[in-house]
Amino acid sequence: MNPNIVETINVAREVAWLPWAVQYFFLIGLSYGAYLLSLPGVVFRRPGWAGISRLALLGALVCGLAAPVALLADLHQPGRFWHFYAYFTPTSWMSWGAFFIPVYLGGLLTYAWLAFRPDLARHAQSGGKLSGLANVLAYGGHDSRGALKAAALLAFVGAALVALYTGAEVAVVQARPLWNTPLLPLQFFVTAFAGAVGLALLFNRFSVRDQAANRRMAGVLAATQVVALAVGALWLALGLSGVSPVHAQALAEVGPSANWQFSAAWAVTATVLTLLLAWKWPGSGLLIGLLALHSAWMMRWSIFIGGQEVPKTGAGYYTYSLPLGPEGLMGIVGTAGLWVFLFVLITTLLPLDRLAAGDTDKAAA
Amino acid sequence: MKEALETPPCAAPASASRRNFLRGVPVVTAAAVAVPTPAIASTAKHQWAMLIDVRKCIGCQACTVSCIQENAVPEGSFRTVVSTYSVKLTDSAQPAGTYVLPRLCNHCDNPPCIPVCPVSATYKREDGIVAVDGDRCVGCAYCVQACPYDARFINHDTGKADKCTFCAHRVDAGLLPACVETCVGGARIFGDISDPEGELARRLKETQPQLKVLKPELDTAPRVFYIGLDERFTGKVEGQGTLWKPRSLPHA
Repeated sequence: MNPNIVETINVAREVAWLPWAVQYFFLIGLSYGAYLLSLPGVVFRRPGWAGISRLALLGALVCGLAAPVALLADLHQPGRFWHFYAYFTPTSWMSWGAFFIPVYLGGLLTYAWLAFRPDLARHAQSGGKLSGLANVLAYGGHDSRGALKAAALLAFVGAALVALYTGAEVAVVQARPLWNTPLLPLQFFVTAFAGAVGLALLFNRFSVRDQAANRRMAGVLAATQVVALAVGALWLALGLSGVSPVHAQALAEVGPSANWQFSAAWAVTATVLTLLLAWKWPGSGLLIGLLALHSAWMMRWSIFIGGQEVPKTGAGYYTYSLPLGPEGLMGIVGTAGLWVFLFVLITTLLPLDRLAAGDTDKAAA
Repeated sequence: MKEALETPPCAAPASASRRNFLRGVPVVTAAAVAVPTPAIASTAKHQWAMLIDVRKCIGCQACTVSCIQENAVPEGSFRTVVSTYSVKLTDSAQPAGTYVLPRLCNHCDNPPCIPVCPVSATYKREDGIVAVDGDRCVGCAYCVQACPYDARFINHDTGKADKCTFCAHRVDAGLLPACVETCVGGARIFGDISDPEGELARRLKETQPQLKVLKPELDTAPRVFYIGLDERFTGKVEGQGTLWKPRSLPHA
């Protein structure tokens, strides 16, 4: 028998994890990725990395501070966030995440403060905008290497835990085959790190335009795109071959959809284009930076919003249209606005050019 | 499923079958205030479950409407619905037929929604009903994602996770769930699975070879059983999606 089935009545479940969630996963990913990018120059003092790492640390800070606000906004009962701490549930990755985020942010803030203390003192001395605040924050402006390394280690533990929980939280959802693959956390990580490199490239482009730093970051970005393509190819191979039933199920769920085919083609094209530009034309810092950020965001949008467009029981696919209010577009715009505010505030105290100058600036001091 | 059927009966459980309920209606109605003795006691002695005989469902959506009325479900949201499909046999001249499938929370014995809840707001009552503690729920919607039956949603009036409760408030008061009470075809049988003399256990036993649950491969051990469930409808239905969508509300 060959039945044709048409669903005539059913419930179209609306998206429950809103664009706020996309923003959270995007920003927290950029933050821990940028934190990792800050290590070579700030902690390990690798030659040629100072400017890159200091810009990356700025990115980690701005994104890390904005991300939890988006997460909070995605709760439908944001005033009850304290329940996460009052009713810890060890079986839930989200519950663990509520504890991992403060570990990461606590470590990151301390690390960034220790790294930027001398710069804050310099800003206070120069009499620039908010120099009084900079003076207070500098708290003497000492360069405490031991404390900085300890804070960086705490932030590293926090970053690793955040990367783990944000991936696992989604990957364990058996009810959504598209999410329920072991490669998803790795895909989140790779695209997050690539996006962080993209952010640092933009910071460099809009500050000192250091070509050497640009080329160095382009090389790193090219490597991330190779890894992203390799992981994507592995995902597809596992799905097509049937070696991994969960990947096969994920592929079967979205494979027939024209929208998903288009999204996949878009993602591959963007990744290949980023790779080729970063490899062959490393001077295109602005373009590849934007492309990397776009890919990181699009990947999360497709996974979260697109993933929720797949009915668990019903036929076909749900259709999502972005509402213009706080549950949709305003969530994205609002998060972006917060990001801009934090960026302006922090770069007023720590001007982008001064951070990007890296070693030169230290030498001058 | 088998394990559930073999659950040892608790001491002197009262039957929650439709027949026994109807028998008890005059008593409950007349003495509801003066003598608060419900037809079904609210104790852990019971293990509530539901059997849906798809062959008897006429797709009238009376259950859908009564559930909305009983539980003040916001417009555009549903705790239960009768999914309806037009099925055409392409190699037959026979015109397309209609297949109906009542859906609701499956009150699983191994519910995926419970472990993911970050604040333990979702829990399983001693009588098997999977419930949400509205005072604790933070509305994170993790349970909505984890439910393989699309049975949960965020209630925009309360900002909390919402789902079928088997009308726990009614059951605790000795009444049947609203959907069972209004079912025109008598397709929904609600009762105590641990009561071997009860109608539910008896019907489950009689029809055991035909019994099915939704998505059995997930090992969620649902407490909603089906008779007449076509294999093609046990999981995500392969077919053309419905064009109908509940009206979007201007909620936050």
